Amino acid sequence: MNEMKLDFLRELANIGTGHATTALSQMLDGKLFQLVVPDAQMLPFTEAADYMGGLEKVVVGIFVVISGDVQGHMACLHPLESARTLIRLLTGEDKPEIDEMGRSALQELGNIMVTSFLNALSKMTNLLMMPSVPGLAIDMAGAVWESILAGAEVAGEVTVIRTRFSAEGEAIEGHIIFLPDEDDFNKIARQFGLEEH
Amino acid sequence: MSEVFVNMGEISSAKSQGILTTVGLGSCIGVTLYDERAKVGVMGHIFLPRSRPNDHGAPPGKYADTGIPAMIDEAVRLGASKGRLQAKLAGGANLFPNLNLRSISIGQQNIDAVVQLLKQHGIPIIGQDVAGSHGRKMRFFVENGVVTVTAIGKEPVQI
Repeated sequence: MNEMKLDFLRELANIGTGHATTALSQMLDGKLFQLVVPDAQMLPFTEAADYMGGLEKVVVGIFVVISGDVQGHMACLHPLESARTLIRLLTGEDKPEIDEMGRSALQELGNIMVTSFLNALSKMTNLLMMPSVPGLAIDMAGAVWESILAGAEVAGEVTVIRTRFSAEGEAIEGHIIFLPDEDDFNKIARQFGLEEH
Repeated sequence: MSEVFVNMGEISSAKSQGILTTVGLGSCIGVTLYDERAKVGVMGHIFLPRSRPNDHGAPPGKYADTGIPAMIDEAVRLGASKGRLQAKLAGGANLFPNLNLRSISIGQQNIDAVVQLLKQHGIPIIGQDVAGSHGRKMRFFVENGVVTVTAIGKEPVQI
């Protein structure tokens, strides 16, 4: 993948995460989310889990299948502490447990982020992108990561967008992985007037 | 004792002593081959069941169909006898069971492929902790062939 494609993905990420942040702020009304400009990196697939902070670190992973004019997959990964902060902001509980309710809160948050990310891209491209019901896993980063890659059948390099939000002065970290199928990626690029190689 | 970490798609080996470890097995499958007499151990961390023609330069350990033969070759190179090799498996989980991505999950496809290949090569599977919906860490003690599997929120198991 070349530099231009990476730039383009960065731009998509900016747009998508910007919208996702707005959606989150609306949901947690009064608690303004601020987005620190995301940073996109392209990594060989074996290194990406390490980049998330170690293979054994527990993370919360949300994984969806995209269907419509563009097919592919999308995932969000959050360190456990950031996930707890999100649940706390959402439910108002002081020391949230990742129990059944915590899980469904996270699933809902993931749903909102992914849907608003894809809606923003759909509007700009006039290409329909619909997320499935999100899958949720709370497990070792390595295990979550490789399951996402295998599920999306990605075997080469992968672009990971690192995002940092803050809400009520607390930092929330996350990684967003947008994995359109190769042909469909070109479809998006064409809609933006990008030359194909 | 030295501990070697085996990343996704890699194959590592040791003789007489040492620990081979793979962390974060999700849908991937960790495979160990061991010749007790020669004290030769090989570990692989396999990503998908079948190799793809367009994945040039992929390490053999990435796919079961290329990885199992490569693991056997490695064991024999270190002095193992193919006829004495015994296998243990961990992983092949489905972390996102509600997504129903495929009728047979990638994890299960990995298990099926490895079981089939080991059978073709006449290598018995003497221990396994596979499937389910959780990630695993696998450690292989080459001095005695013991394999331990740990998972978050679960008791460690020895296979």
